[in-house]
Parts: sequence; C-alpha cells; structure tokens
Amino acid sequence: MSAQAETTSGAGEQAVVRNGVTIDPTFAEAFPMKATRVLITAHNDTWARNAAVAMTGFATSVIACGCEAGIERMLAPNETPDGRPGAAVLLFSMSGKELAKQLERRVGQCVLTCPTTAVYAGLEDGEAVALGKNLRFFGDGWQISKMIDGKRYWRVPVMDGEFVAQETTAVVKAVGGGNLLLLARDTDAALAGAEAAVEAMRAVPGVIMPFPGGVVRSGSKVGSKYASLMASTNDAFCPALIPLAKKTELDAGTRCVMEIVIDGLTEADVSAAMRAGIEAIVARGGEAGVTRISAGNYGGKLGPFHFHLHKLLGAGAIV
Amino acid sequence: MSAAQGFRLRLRAQPDFRVDLSPLQPAALAGRDVGQVARLELRHANAHVELGELFDVDALSSEAPELRIEGDLRRFDRIGQGMDGGRLSVTGDVGDYLGAAMRSGDIVVEGRAGQLAACEMAGGRLEVRGDVGDFAAGALPGSMDGMRGGTLIVHGNAGVRFGDRMRRGTVLLLGDAGDFCASRMVAGTIALAGLVGAHCGYGMRRGTLVFAGPAPDVPATFGGTNHDIRVIWALLSRSLAGLHPVFQSLPGRAPRRVVGDLAADGKGEWLIAG
Repeated sequence: MSAQAETTSGAGEQAVVRNGVTIDPTFAEAFPMKATRVLITAHNDTWARNAAVAMTGFATSVIACGCEAGIERMLAPNETPDGRPGAAVLLFSMSGKELAKQLERRVGQCVLTCPTTAVYAGLEDGEAVALGKNLRFFGDGWQISKMIDGKRYWRVPVMDGEFVAQETTAVVKAVGGGNLLLLARDTDAALAGAEAAVEAMRAVPGVIMPFPGGVVRSGSKVGSKYASLMASTNDAFCPALIPLAKKTELDAGTRCVMEIVIDGLTEADVSAAMRAGIEAIVARGGEAGVTRISAGNYGGKLGPFHFHLHKLLGAGAIV
Repeated sequence: MSAAQGFRLRLRAQPDFRVDLSPLQPAALAGRDVGQVARLELRHANAHVELGELFDVDALSSEAPELRIEGDLRRFDRIGQGMDGGRLSVTGDVGDYLGAAMRSGDIVVEGRAGQLAACEMAGGRLEVRGDVGDFAAGALPGSMDGMRGGTLIVHGNAGVRFGDRMRRGTVLLLGDAGDFCASRMVAGTIALAGLVGAHCGYGMRRGTLVFAGPAPDVPATFGGTNHDIRVIWALLSRSLAGLHPVFQSLPGRAPRRVVGDLAADGKGEWLIAG
C-alpha cells in the first residue's frame, strides 16, 4: 500500500497536454519525515550492493515496515571514506526514534553480517543517532574505538577481519510521500512508462523511490470500511471499479495505473525528482501509452508539502 | 591607544628567574590595547613582573586573536597553557609545559620546547619545528591521563616517555623518540617517522602506533595478527597523510600489525609500515 488518497483538482484549472500526455491540474501531497543517509562500502561493488539491498528490504512503506528505505545510488571508490566501492542508502521514518530503531536493526542484521562491509555516516549536519555506537557490543569487549579527524569509528572483530562502523550518523528533517500517478492504456505501456520515469528519477540526488522497482500498483486511500485497516485500495484509480465505485478518476481507455512514490531529503529534491519523472513520460509521448499524469493528495489538509504538477511543468524545460 | 586583535612581543631582556607565560592567551588579550598588554603581570619566581619590562609590545593588524612572540624563551614556561582559541606563534626556543592542557587554537613554535610539551593537551593544534623534551604529550605529574585530544606535530626528536598515558588525539613525530615511547598509552594515535628508543609501548593498553620509518624491534610481549585491516588503515593513513608530507606515502603501503602489551593485558596496536 502507498499512503495516497483521492486526487483533488485545483479549482477552475484546466489540464494541460504535452506531447500527447495530459497532466492533471492537481498536486501531490507530502509529509514531514525524518531521514538519514548511510554509506556502505565493501570489498567490491557486488558485496556493497548485497548489503544495501538487504538493508533496504521490506522498507516500502511506513504503514507496516517501520521505515521507507532505498539505495540512492552506487558509489565509486573515490567517493567513499575508505576508497572502496559502496552504496548510499537513504532511510525515512515518521519519527527520529523509530528511524534510530530501524537503522540499528537493519545495519546490525544486514550490514554487520555481510562480508567485508563497513558503514559510515552519509550526512554531516543533523541530530546524531547511533550507527555503530551500540553495535560495537557485538565485539564482546574486543571492540576498539578509533578517533580519526574528529570522527569516532568502532572496529568490531568478526570472522573475516573487522567490521568498521562510524559511531553515529545524522538525522535530518525530510519529505516523504511525493508521488506521480501514471495512467496508461494497458499494463505493458504503464510498466514501460514507469520504468522510464523511475530511471530518470534515480539520477536525482537525495531521493529514493521505496517501492519494488520504484513503482507501486496498490495505491491506497486513507481508511477502509473495515475498522481495523488504516488504508485501503484507492478505488477512484482502480480500472476494475470504473462502473462500480461512487467516484472514479478514470475513463474507459485507462486500463492500468501505476504510482511512483518519492521520499527526499528536501522539498527541492522531491520536486526535482517529480519533474524528472514527468519529463521522462512526456518525452516518450502519449503514443507510448501513458496518456495522463496525475497525483495523489488528501485535499491539502494533511500534508504541508504540495507539489503542483503544473508548477513543476513551469519550473522545468518540459517538451 | 586603540584596541587590537593581535600583538607582537619581542623579548628585550632575559629574566633572572623562570617566568610563567600562561596569562598570555590570544583570545583573552584580543580587544585590549598595547598599554594594557604591557601592564599584564606575570609570575617571575616568587614575585611578579610586568610584561612590558621584559618585552616590547606592538599591535598587529590581525583580524583574529593572535600573538607572536620573538626571542629566546627557554626561561619562559607554560606558553599557551590552557589556550582556548586564537593563534600563538613563537620564534625561538621555549621552556616547559608548552601548550599544556590547551583546548583549541593553534600554536607554532619555530624552535625547541622543554619538558612536558602538550601534556594533557585536549584540543587544537600544536606544532613544534624543533625537538621536544621529556614527557611530551604525557600527563602532568600525579595525573592519570596524558594528552586527551588535538593534534601535536613535532618536527625534531622527542625525549623519554613521549605519549606516556596518552588517552586521545593524534601525534606526529618526524624525528626519533626516546625510551619508553607510548608507555602506558590508553588510546589515541602516534605516528613515528624515525627511530624509537628502548621499551617502546611498555604497558600499552590501547591506542595505535604507526611506524612509517624504520621498523622497530617488536618486544616479546607483543603478538602479530594477520587479518585484513585495509579499511581502518585506509581511514587512518589518509588522515595522517593529510597532516604532513612525511606520511604522504602511507596509504599506498600495507602495514604489519602487532598487538600488546600482552604483559599488561593490553590491546594496543603497532602498525609497522616501514
């Protein structure tokens, strides 16, 4: 599930059409989150990726995963503190406390355990939370602290040598829940468009698309007829419910909708990623099958960050 | 006279006895005028003397707190003791306790320093272009902990008990060290480019000695480990390489590691890259 609700259009605004793609006069509504970046390095790119993939597993939505996480990008040796290949990982959660918990669990179970890895803070400024600070106790007294250039590292003896972890990383305020809805004529077109958009968005620094492959097919609305559920299927965007739901946003030609959810370190990062996604879809053109771009919001009443699609259009050089 | 951020002190006459220069703090003197600085009282044996009786004082056009002291200051102790910010430079040799317990700021001495230089230093940067005497980077007499932060760079040689009981911080010694270097060391890093005397690492509990020059004789109370230390070595060697060109080649080397002092149940390490 993603945490998006129905789409609310701006009063009196008209949809615009670019290269055969209709862009709705609506906005994505996003929320404040807490985030951190960690850098994982390893003996080679494969093992860095293995650790990063494991650490960011089961982290698609805060609804049930505790955090949203993803690989921001892979790092060349000259970009990492120890000169080895690495991965930059972003973690987002609704509170600093939950983020700290998830970080420690995930680094402890997925990075400490992964052959040859080391882990470092990926942000300099912000509230410090434990990275290797508590994991060091795995060393059972054999761990060693090393202060280098004002940063404390823990060296924990393990069977392949030693696990090096910086003591803390920084937590900053961030933005979660930016989104695009891609309305397409069929599944093939929707997937191809979503993949192209995600590829373009991954080039933007400071963001992750936490769902599988960056894409979510089960967009959700807040609430449910079942009291125990806090979210349920976004019926207004389900092609199966066009003739059934009280309100639908789809026409008969739309047979498949995909959503891309974006979490970013700043509002500007989320804007840039959404713009990159829209540009990628527009560049492919409506003929490619994604005929409309929309976004999910809660009427603007819940989240303080509003990403108006038409404003994004105006800010970028979209065809 | 107008207030200034920095001052130059030129030694006019040698004192009859040793003088305590610890009141000369760049940050504390910033904003005063030359007259006020010249009237500063200094301890001179069991009496006091005004600074102006021993030094010519000029204002500098510095924008940040700064002191420049010129002359043979071997009878002047505690220069920069407890210093907390600013810059202090000395052209000439200095007495004992140079930079003792300093917390921040920069001290540069173009000459030799006496005993107990940088003892219990907690922060900042202290550079001595000549030799340092005994107990540098160590503990004050009767104290349990030696240097506990900051960076000390010694271009010349060091006396005995260099880094004794050192607890934190980084020390670079470009020359040779005397006997009992890093004895009872608790933590921190000492990088050595020269030779070491007898009983190096005696009673060492933790901390790191990096030997960039000649390989030392490893005592029987130290044992080798052969595991992969490339990660921590990359972090440490790059840091040391950035501190002084003598250590610039360290990142390309693969050091041997021994640990001890096992006689004291220690977990200190020697990284022998020479």
